[in-house]
Order: sequence, then structure tokens, then C-alpha cells
Amino acid sequence: MHIGEELAQSIQPYEVFSFNLFGLRIPVTDTVINMWIVMAILIIISVILTRKMELIPGNKQNLAELFVEFISDFTKDIIGHNAKYFVPYLGTVFLFLAFANALSLLNVVPNFGIRPPTRDINVTFSVALMSVIVVAYAGIRFKKFSGWLRSYIEPMPLVLPMKIIENVIRMLSLSFRLFGNVLGAFIIMEIIYILMPIALPAGLSIYFDLFDGILQAFIFIFLTTIYISEAVE
Amino acid sequence: MATEAIIAIAACIAVLGTGIGAAIGIGRATSKAVESAARQPEAAGNILKILVLGASLVEATAVYALVVALILLLIR
Repeated sequence: MHIGEELAQSIQPYEVFSFNLFGLRIPVTDTVINMWIVMAILIIISVILTRKMELIPGNKQNLAELFVEFISDFTKDIIGHNAKYFVPYLGTVFLFLAFANALSLLNVVPNFGIRPPTRDINVTFSVALMSVIVVAYAGIRFKKFSGWLRSYIEPMPLVLPMKIIENVIRMLSLSFRLFGNVLGAFIIMEIIYILMPIALPAGLSIYFDLFDGILQAFIFIFLTTIYISEAVE
Repeated sequence: MATEAIIAIAACIAVLGTGIGAAIGIGRATSKAVESAARQPEAAGNILKILVLGASLVEATAVYALVVALILLLIR
């Protein structure tokens, strides 16, 4: 029972502080603070890697170019020659999700859990909503507004409700897949921390925090890329 | 107390069924991917991509069951 209570506490986001804005009380949960940590890490890394850029890249710049090339090749394979409009968005989402999922590696501060922000359903749902909006934007951008509307009633008007429901299902499945995977890995790691805090977490953390987190972030942008390529065609 | 036990059993059944399904699905997909990659090593990159996509879609069902089980157990 005591493990269950401890788990239930660590799963739910808790309020750290709150402030008043126009008479509305706005709570700031630990999810938001962990997202600030992710943003700070990303900004610091990108500033360090891209400082003093040269034509013939050195070590640091090579690392950044490796990542940019990986994302741009990968999207070009799936979307085709229009890929360059979507590379920045997909790369940003991938980096954010990968660092957010792997953030529990830094869970060392006592009394304040640095936990993956993606274990909060609100974060994953927002990212999935953004993806669906980008897919709709891609359709409007490359097929014109009329072509995008027409794609909802092709091949026949009977499929219109299905296509509308499809958008909602995409959003739900994207957000729940990410949320469930991260939360599952997080719960397993918490149980291991409680049961055996020495030695064992070090090995399993590599799989559950690092590998699984990066894989889930990759799957997220992979599915987004496929939806975009469907909308662009 | 009895309802709590029933809720725990329900969560177990939810995870059990989809866990078996997802395991069989991913196992079959991976074995076929290994076969086709052995037959055509030059297509291994494409096969890996398709495998990751399929496995993530199959795994999603197991994850939904996890979410359902957690909702059953934690949210009263």
C-alpha cells in the first residue's frame, strides 16, 4: 500500500507556485518548470554548438550538422522535394521530445523531482494538436484551400465524416502513445528506485529513460511526417 | 474492499489481453522483417523504417490498455 501511495504521488503533477493575472489564479505545476529546464538545456546546447561557425566545420559544428542532415534526409525520403518547409518544425519537436523524455536521467535533486514533462497528458496533447495543425497547414499550402477541402470528399462524399473523425483519432493516438509510453517507463523506474536503489537502476535507466524516450520521440515525428506526406500528395 | 479487488482484477485483465496481442503482433512483424532483410540486405533501411512504424502502431494498443488500467486504479 505504501508503494502505491508513493507512486500515485509521483505520477500526478503538483503545483509549485501560482500567480495572479487579471484576477485569475494561474498555477504553475512542476511540468512547466521541467519544460523550462528542457528549454534551457536546448538553448545552451545549441548556442555552444553553433558558436563561431566556419565553412569547414570543427568538432562541435559537425555534431550539429550531423543532426540537421539526419532530419533533413529522413524527411526528404518520405515527403519528397517539399520537405524543406517542414524540416525545422520536425527537428524542433524531435529535439524537444527526446530531451523531455530523457529528462528523468537528471532526477537527482532531493524533494524536487525532475521528471519528464511528457508524463503529463496536457503536454503530449498540445504537441499532438500542433502536429494536426501542421498537417492541415501543409494541405492548404500545397493543394490550395479548395484542393484541401476537396480532399475531404474524395473519392466520394460519403467518406466526409470518416475523414473528420480521422483527424481526432490521429490527435488522440499520437498523444496517448507518447504519454502512455513515457508514463509506463517512468512508473517502472520509480518502482525500481523504491525497491532497489543501488546499482540496478543504472543499467535499466539507459533502456527506459534514454533509449525508449528517444525512440518514442522518433516515432512521433515519423508518424507526423507520414501524415504530412499524405496531405501534400 | 471487494470493489477494490474487482477493480484490480479488471486492470490486470485489461493489460493481460492487450499485452498478449501486442507481443504476438510485434513478434510476427519482427520475424518477417528479419526474413526479408536477410533476403534483400540492400533494402534493410527501408524495412527498418516500416518495422518501426508497424511496431509503434501495434504497441499503441498495449499502451492504451496501460492508460485504461491506470485510470481504473488511480482515479476514483
